[in-house]
Amino acid sequence: MIPLVVCDDSNMARKQLIRALPPEWPVTISQATNGQEALAALRQGLGQVMLLDLTMPVMDGYETLAAIRAEGLACKVLVVSGDVQEEALRRVKELGALAFIKKPADPEILRSSLIELGLFDPAATPTAVTQTAVLDSLKVNFRDALREVTNIAMGRAAALLAKALGVFVQLPVPQVNIFEVSELHMTLTDAMHGERMSAVCQGFIGDGIAGESLLLFHDSEVADMARLLNWQPKDDLETSEMLLDLASIIIGACLSGIAEQIDVRFSQGHPQLLGQHSSIEQLIKLNQRRWKKTLAVEVSYSLEAHNVHFDLLLLFTEDSIKRLTNKINYLMN
Amino acid sequence: MPAQIDIKEVHWLLDIVQCIDVGVIVLNRQYHVEVWNSFMENHSGLGPDEVQGKALFSLFPEINETWLRRKIDTVVQLGTRAFSLWEQHPYLMHFKNYQPITGQEDFMYQNVTLLPLAGATGDVEHICVVIYDMTAAATHKKQLAAAQAASRA
Repeated sequence: MIPLVVCDDSNMARKQLIRALPPEWPVTISQATNGQEALAALRQGLGQVMLLDLTMPVMDGYETLAAIRAEGLACKVLVVSGDVQEEALRRVKELGALAFIKKPADPEILRSSLIELGLFDPAATPTAVTQTAVLDSLKVNFRDALREVTNIAMGRAAALLAKALGVFVQLPVPQVNIFEVSELHMTLTDAMHGERMSAVCQGFIGDGIAGESLLLFHDSEVADMARLLNWQPKDDLETSEMLLDLASIIIGACLSGIAEQIDVRFSQGHPQLLGQHSSIEQLIKLNQRRWKKTLAVEVSYSLEAHNVHFDLLLLFTEDSIKRLTNKINYLMN
Repeated sequence: MPAQIDIKEVHWLLDIVQCIDVGVIVLNRQYHVEVWNSFMENHSGLGPDEVQGKALFSLFPEINETWLRRKIDTVVQLGTRAFSLWEQHPYLMHFKNYQPITGQEDFMYQNVTLLPLAGATGDVEHICVVIYDMTAAATHKKQLAAAQAASRA
């Protein structure tokens, strides 16, 4: 048996990945939810091979690869990630990863990569064993699943952004929360430290799931963004258009990434610039009369080596949650 | 648009009708639905299979039947277009606001265009209903009116 470590912070991602393994591959699986846990497993000799995610709390995939090299741990690492930027691929290869597989992992691609790397010989091990015990013990809740779906979607958005701006985009773990609408306002106000902001908003609806995407730009960083895009906006009008173009890339890629995974086609309204140079309270007038709760998915992108951040919020209406839960349950099982 | 469309390009046109962000419905003379694009599907929550061949008025009881029949009768008889504006008639179908969280209105204000579609004989055999989301304009106009009223007071 080959000792295998599967390292990902998301239960759903680990479940999907273990399910995608070749069934006749003779492995004993250890699981880790971040790089530190993975390293501990490797030190105990539990990982001759590791499947490693990149975006994780505590210790991410890059740091883990660096630590493996620094400690001289003998482990063959395949990165399985939603961060599909070309630069991410280059960096992990440089840090010693043998392969880069994009999420959600396609069983055929995983299989051929393992064969190619000489880690799996289908001729030698003809009996198929499903990892039933491991899979059954992995409980996936809705929030975890939605976080993973978003993670993959925002990875695609980041890859486009990286291409458009010629930068490396740092991806955090997305936050998934159910807020009282009034709390949402407070949370945003706190997070923005009284900064002046501009916001672009776009409605979406499809298959009984409706909501709005909000993209928040920090005014202090808009000039840097323009430089990256090679634009010289002459006035507020041109700046608005630049923000709308950027928002379309990020919102469009993120939404279509989610839509594809849960098998929905969204209609999207025209994007709207909610305001410029305003405080959050002025920008976002939430309709508290109609909504008590909203499901909020928050993604913060930052650009490496530049002082530029985008905050993307996907707000789903209260009455979309049930439908979204059904769609996600379908993915989990 | 070219006068003659290559058959290979028809799928583009279908894609456009499907994805364009306005509602497109085609009705026959009995008011039965024959075409229903994704805007209609997504905002109504009813898929094409659920509306195909069904009478529009049974699907949407909120539609003022007498009003719509009168408009469509003219379209069919004269072969001319007819319109409905949100100021006079806020909506044809009751859809939720496209911006459900930040939008201040509860429903989608709509402008409607009714287009005659002639068959091979030249008679109008179908009617195309096009629905536009006018909520943003409606919100602004109402806010402006409220502000003017407040400044006069």
